[in-house]
Order: sequence, then C-alpha cells, then structure tokens
Amino acid sequence: MEARSETSVLQRLWQRWDTRLCLLAVAVYTLAALYGEAVYRYYRIADRAPAYNSVCEEARYVPPLFARVFSAGAPGAAGRPLYLLGSDNLGRDVLQRLVQGTRIAFHVGIVTSLIAIPLGVVLGCAGGYFGGRADSLVVWLCATVASMPGLLFILAIAMVIGQGLAGVYLGIGLTTWVSVCRNIRGEVIKHRERAYVQAARVLGYSDLRIIFRHVLPNVAHIVLIAFSIRFPSSVAMEVFISFLGIGVQGEPSWGIMINNARLRLWQGVWWEMTFVSLAIFGLVLAFNHLADALRDLLDPALRNEAAN
Amino acid sequence: MAESEKTLLKIRGLKTWYPIKKGVLARTVDHVRAVDGVDMEVRKGETLGIVGESGSGKSTLARTILRLEKPRAGSIEVNGKNILSLKGKALRDYRRTVQVVFQDPQASLNPRHTVLELLTEAMLVHGLTTREGRRAAATELLDDVGMSADMLDRYPHAFSGGQRQRICIARALSLKPQLLICDEAVSALDLSVRAQALNLLQDLKAKHGLSYLFITHDIGVVQHLADRIAVMRDGRIVEHGDADDVLQNPAHPYTRLLLQAVPVIRTSPQ
Repeated sequence: MEARSETSVLQRLWQRWDTRLCLLAVAVYTLAALYGEAVYRYYRIADRAPAYNSVCEEARYVPPLFARVFSAGAPGAAGRPLYLLGSDNLGRDVLQRLVQGTRIAFHVGIVTSLIAIPLGVVLGCAGGYFGGRADSLVVWLCATVASMPGLLFILAIAMVIGQGLAGVYLGIGLTTWVSVCRNIRGEVIKHRERAYVQAARVLGYSDLRIIFRHVLPNVAHIVLIAFSIRFPSSVAMEVFISFLGIGVQGEPSWGIMINNARLRLWQGVWWEMTFVSLAIFGLVLAFNHLADALRDLLDPALRNEAAN
Repeated sequence: MAESEKTLLKIRGLKTWYPIKKGVLARTVDHVRAVDGVDMEVRKGETLGIVGESGSGKSTLARTILRLEKPRAGSIEVNGKNILSLKGKALRDYRRTVQVVFQDPQASLNPRHTVLELLTEAMLVHGLTTREGRRAAATELLDDVGMSADMLDRYPHAFSGGQRQRICIARALSLKPQLLICDEAVSALDLSVRAQALNLLQDLKAKHGLSYLFITHDIGVVQHLADRIAVMRDGRIVEHGDADDVLQNPAHPYTRLLLQAVPVIRTSPQ
C-alpha cells in the first residue's frame, strides 16, 4: 500500500506540466550535486588543488561564453576551462563553482533534514500521543526554540564548535525541527482519537507499537511534505550564513559566491551574481512548488475521500 | 458463592467525569458527569443491552470498562478481580478477557494493513499464534464471521461496511474474549446488513460462549438480542430488568419515550 500510493503520487506529479518541470529541475540539480561530489572526491583523492579553486591571473573577469561571441577578443588559451558562465575576480570558472555550490546546498538540505525531521517526528509523536505532561513539555520546547531568533542560535553554535559546515548543519537542524514537530503533533492528536488507535489499545498493543506501526505510517505524508518545504529554506539559510562569513570555509558555497560577486557588481561583472541568484531561485522555486503540489495531493484535510 | 461465580462483570458506584478547564492556568472549573454512579452486572453467557440517547454516557461507560478512560470513583470487577489497578502484563492479560467492536468499522481498521495483519497482529502480540500459523488462524477467524480466506491479502477499503464490521468482530474474537462490548456496533450499517450482523453475533455467542454488553441508542436493536436491558440517562441507569419486563411494562417515563421512538413497520394493513 505504502509503495503503491507513493508511486501514484509521483505519477500524478509527472502528469501535470508545471510539477513535471519542477521534477526535472530537481533531477538536474541532483545530478549536478552528484557530479560536484564526484569532482570534489576526485581532487581529494588525487591530492591536487581543485579546478574550481585554481587561480588564473590572466583570465580574470572573463564574461560568459554567449556574451563573448558578440565581442571580439576571446581568450582562447589552451588548458583553460571554457568559462561557459564566465570567470570571477581570480579567474575561477563560475560554472564549476556553481556545481560545487549545488553540492554544498544538497549537503546542507539533506543533513539538516536528517537532524530536524527525526527530532521533530519523535517529539511530535511523543507529545501528541501521550498528551498531558509530555505534551506540555514538547509544546514548551517548541515555543522556546521558536521564540529564539534562528540566526543568533546558529551564531552561538558556530562560536562553540567553530566555523564550517558542522556548525551550519547543527545550527539549522536544531532550529527548524519545530514546524515538523508541530505538524506531526497535530496530526497524531487527530489520529489518537480515531477508532483504530482505540481498538489497538484495547487489543493490548504497546504504546511504541501503536506509534510506530499504526500512527506513524498514517502521518508519513507530513514527513514528505515537511522535507520538501524545509529543504529549500535550509539551503537559503546556508547561503545567508555563508554570505555572512560564518558558514562554509574554503569551498565555493553559493553564499560565498554572492558575497564575492557583490563587490564587483558595480564594475560591470554581472555574470557571477546573476547565475548564482538564478541557481538559488530555480532550486527554491522548484522545491516550493513541489511542496505545494505534494501537500495538495497528500494532505487528508485537502484531499477528498473519492481520490483515496 | 454460586451467584458470584456467574457474574462476569460487576460495576459499583462508577463515576467518570471529564474536567472542564478554563483560563490561562487551565484550572478545572467544573466537570461533565458522563458516568455518574452506575451499578450493574453482566452474568456469564448473557446479553445486557444498554440503551440511551446520545450523550447519556453509554460509550463513556464502555470506554471506562475498556480502560480507555480513568474513572473518578467506583469499582469494576471482572471475574471477581478489580481491573482498575491493573498495569503492564496484568493489563495485557485483561485485554484478552474483554474486547470491543466500535461503531464505525472503517475508522476502526488501519487502512494501511491487510486483513491478515489486522486479524493476527493481536494474536502475535499476545503469543496466541506464530508467524507461520497466522494464515491458518486468520482463515479460521474469517470463517467464523462468514467470510472466505481469499480476502486475507486485501486492504479494508476494498470491503463494504458490513464486511468491514465482520472483520472488526473477527479481530475482537481473535483474543478469545469472554465479554464482547458492542458500542453501537450495528448503528452505522443499513437495515438489511444490520439484521445479518445481529444474527451473526447471536450465532457467535452460542459458538464461543460469549457474553455481550450491547450498547445502542436504538431500543429496537436490543429487542431481539438482549436478555436484560438497562436504560441510561445523564450518566445514570434509570431502569433495568429483564428485557421482556422493560419492554412490556416500562416503569420509567424515559424508557416509554425511547420505546415510542422505535419505528413500527407494518407489512399488511390491519
């Protein structure tokens, strides 16, 4: 049943042109991230300075390929990248750095989800199912974490464990579980009063069995929706943190690229900023639109019984 | 002692109140007295019908017996043992004595489990069957409620309301209970299916030596089934006695009101 409903959701997303476009975009980003990861690993193993970080003094500020076609001078030196999307102030290839940025973005989106979603699911289930004091504790925790400005929290964590990706993962992961937890809790409370859970209690099942075998599969769609919503927001968060200079170090994250490009924008070096912004825009748009469509398809509050 | 040996369920002075909370501190300002001092017994092998309108506390009474609600006062004894203090393993063992069939069969069945899983999970939990033996056990249960074994791998949504309720009954019987509480068990079924379900319950009673606590708002349903009837109103039992007595000579005006509410279908002009 689980697998069947999941494939039918994919099929239904594929049938609509807008969500199909989003699926394709997500696929392209995923492939780019995988390719970036492979390149990153390759240079690590080969122990060479990666191409996306190699400085080339002669090829600074090369405009993107399509812009060069119209102008005369084209630096066609051999052994250099094509600079399809131009080069930055140190002569590094923007395209390669974009791909690396995608890799970082996916790392952040996935690792923070692996922290935030289990935390939110466990706390939400515990609070929603047991009620009473456990619930009060969970609600209090949610309210407390939600009331802290997320950025301050991330700054504090970065202070404690130092700058770099680990701080970003923990900071974003530990601040964004609240919405997952609230959604799961609300849904579990709804299911707790359903007759099938009551029957399960009367049949003598343990609480853990009821939560994991009976309630959780019926609220799993919330997890899927939560992932698709929080993935782009955590990517955007990482961009922001890296832009501020407390995130990723030494690797081309989108935030670092924006920060870098910002300084030369007024000199007419528009391409780096443009392409990074487009990459972020595309990823966030595709994921958010998919999240919307997924919620329409999966949320029982919006779904009519006939479609079941 | 012969008297107490025959008594399966004995309830004394049972009160289940729900608090009404108000204000920021959620102070309890008052209570909804859903069950407010109920005394009753169910003897072995008999069917006790509990009748009352919506909100009269019938379901809360059932939920309290099932340990889904905590009572405020009173005692519930099953086979002479107080069940309100049971915990852990003792509570699990009690689950095998008393089972329930709820009103809405669709809501009572987890939509993501097959009939096989629905029927045998409880038996596995209680160690009444094994992974290898579960198919045979489930087949037997389905046979009991008049369904065939080729439905074992289907999901609940593939069945009609009547069939789903049969699955619920089969699941409740999987633990071989002594007392089956039917909380409006046939109210959601349409009339022809309802008659079948009632006949099935009657057959199962004889076959497994069950006792029933039959809760309904419709006095017509218990007419044919109940040995004794208790009429409930506002959390109290206002009248109880042998079914025939209560139906023929209702002492309480509320019972008379309920009886008048039963539609009479005349098949031929008189």
